[in-house]
Amino acid sequence: MTHASYFNGDTPNPVPVYVTPSDDGAQIILSRPNADDVIWPASDIRTVSDLPSGIDAVLRLTSDPVARLYVQDAGTLPRLPHLNRRAPPKGRGRLAMWAAGAVAAVALQIGILIPLMADQLANFIPPRAERALGEATFEQIRGALGSDTLGPLRVCEKPEGRAALNEMAATFAPSIPDNGEISVFVLNHPMINAFALPGGYVVFFRGLIDAAETPEEVAAVFAHELGHVVSRDPTRHALRSAGSIGVLGLLFGDFAGGAVVLFLTERLIDANYTQAAEEAADTFAHTVLEDAEISPAALGDMFERLRKKHGDSDGTLSHFLSHPTLSDRIDKARDAAPEDGDWSPILTEQQWADLQGICG
Amino acid sequence: MQGGWPPAASQETTSSPDGALTVGFVGRRGAVFWLALTTGFWSILTLGFYRFWMKTRLRRYFWGSIRPGGHPMEYVGDPWEKLLGFFIAVVILTFYIGVVNLLLMFASFTLFDGNVAGYFLSFLGVIPLWFYARYRARRYVLGRTRWRGVRFGLEPGAWGYAWRACVHWLVTICTLGILWPRMTFYLEKYRTDRTFFGSSKLTQGGRWTMLYRAALPLIGAIVAWVLWVVWITFIDPIGEIWAAFLDELLIELLGYEAFLSKGTAKPKNVWRLWLLIPLAITLYTGVVHYMFGARRIMANHKSAPGIAVRSNLRTGRIAWIYAGGTFFAYLVLTLGIILLSLIVLPIFGFEVLAQITGTDADLTFDAPRWVAITASVIVYFGIFLLWSVVYNTFVTFPLMRHMATTTVLPEHHGLQSVSQAARDEFAEAEGFAEALDLGAAI
Ligand SMILES: [Zn+2]
Repeated sequence: MTHASYFNGDTPNPVPVYVTPSDDGAQIILSRPNADDVIWPASDIRTVSDLPSGIDAVLRLTSDPVARLYVQDAGTLPRLPHLNRRAPPKGRGRLAMWAAGAVAAVALQIGILIPLMADQLANFIPPRAERALGEATFEQIRGALGSDTLGPLRVCEKPEGRAALNEMAATFAPSIPDNGEISVFVLNHPMINAFALPGGYVVFFRGLIDAAETPEEVAAVFAHELGHVVSRDPTRHALRSAGSIGVLGLLFGDFAGGAVVLFLTERLIDANYTQAAEEAADTFAHTVLEDAEISPAALGDMFERLRKKHGDSDGTLSHFLSHPTLSDRIDKARDAAPEDGDWSPILTEQQWADLQGICG
Repeated sequence: MQGGWPPAASQETTSSPDGALTVGFVGRRGAVFWLALTTGFWSILTLGFYRFWMKTRLRRYFWGSIRPGGHPMEYVGDPWEKLLGFFIAVVILTFYIGVVNLLLMFASFTLFDGNVAGYFLSFLGVIPLWFYARYRARRYVLGRTRWRGVRFGLEPGAWGYAWRACVHWLVTICTLGILWPRMTFYLEKYRTDRTFFGSSKLTQGGRWTMLYRAALPLIGAIVAWVLWVVWITFIDPIGEIWAAFLDELLIELLGYEAFLSKGTAKPKNVWRLWLLIPLAITLYTGVVHYMFGARRIMANHKSAPGIAVRSNLRTGRIAWIYAGGTFFAYLVLTLGIILLSLIVLPIFGFEVLAQITGTDADLTFDAPRWVAITASVIVYFGIFLLWSVVYNTFVTFPLMRHMATTTVLPEHHGLQSVSQAARDEFAEAEGFAEALDLGAAI
């Protein structure tokens, strides 16, 4: 015989009861003082889970959400077949509906609404604000790729190399409409990559300069990134990610939110612009290179060599190489170079050596 | 009582001699640790979605450990309903967060040349939502809490709470914190007066001025700080280190250059900087004493018909739980990180580790990028998991235990006439609090 406290689910007053099994064991009988017995079907009885382990237990009925039986010594209870079985799930249809709704809302935001708004806003952003946006993004990327101990990623600023870089930038200055300001930097990182940021920022990683064989190849990449700057691709991209970060952080919460932000910062570097944007940037680059008396074929040369060396699967060059129409672009770059072109070197031998040593 | 029937672990067996209903606590620290560790592990494997189960199970454990009058409290919240609430909140909030943030960022860069104003405005815009979510979360948790089979609950009123909280904060800030106790009192009164247990409604008595007693150590600490700053800045200047620090601070905060460091004398009586340690301790205990002292005073003025509450919590003990528990949690976390690195290192190698930490050095990375990303995700989540486990074990657990065992109901005959309240159907659960990341605490 088991002693227990019975709570009828209406008043918080414990009723002392004796628990006994019925003759066939299909029910348990709770005998109360001066009141009718309470009958609980044995197969409907569940234990309340995750209680601190001890000899006591709290029992409930699947058919009654509120009544409870507090048993001081659960070892004395009669056999109850489904004591630890889970309650059947309910309301899953509604859950699935809202889950789909949440995914759809996020997809709608990130896929349609935010890009649409970002594209519109990019047309209205004044040049000064664009520069501020670029500066903030630049710092964000430096921080994300830097280390905790050494601080943000170092900007390479050896004076001779800087001078060579400025020389190269000066060559392209006439092609920038409205006298837009161009700032070019080299970051001390082995990744073979370059990217553009809002407000005329063009950023090379040291790895790209190391991988280039001639200054013309660096200049070709430079011209391509300028093409993005001129058509304001990075501005649209930065505005999009400003909106998307919050939405994704919301969905993943504390746990994965930080990882999502890191991931999006990486995306800023690997900026996958649309195919049309890439083609426009290439076309711009061809014109600018020709104006500067550099063979547009340099762009194709570099792409091809890097692809041979690293293969398509390598992520380092995804901005350039993962593009499905890369061969097309290489051919176009070569076609854009007139046979009888009159090419002159963009940098002297000395300047090229200086540029390669910009990170010291 | 009735002859033949045993007294069923009720008032008789668990009350103190004067007839007061005491609250017991039976949970064990090791059990909390394992529960948090296993559920946290699943949370990681499911990209964070198991966190709703983790939270539910931890709450069930903590609630079941608290035994007023010998009978366990019960938490009946359902993880699925939390998940549903979270999705509902995401659907509603995603438009606010996405569109509004984008517009704010645009405006901030256009008008102020930077993102600081945008972050500030976006933060400001979330504040009312934050209070709203807090109230809704409390309503959900109370609505899913039972004792002796009877439901607790909180009446609807989240928007009323949100605007009151905003106004109280504004008033508090404008009066330089002098009216802080007024805010503490009225916000707690708003919540308490809407709290019920079955058919019995709770009432918050007392006056807001009674909370100044709890603020005395904090006021003392602030006065000590002001005296110390005046002493080393004006009366007997400590020298250029401090002046340079002040200059830096003023430029950071106001963009204002005071040039205090110009023409200051050589450092003297530098030992006075050591006073920062006792000053910091005083300020910390002052804050804890105010927050929990005020809670104790207010608890002692809570009542329902025929029921009175008495709290004997000790603020010194709570200050120690927070300080010592956090310190101990950090210690365990550091050991855990070292252990984790020892596991990750041989699997992925040094190069990957260098890449995770983003070392700015002339290393050539041969490892494919996905390996580096996988390794950093493991390390990142591992740290997150460890922190939640050690915090639950060394801070939440002792805090719960102390709060439970120091609460007494000296008068409880009113329980006889309490009857059940209807279930608070509440689709979005604590989804808003979850989505806005307020849900870190149990
Ligand atoms: Zn491109």
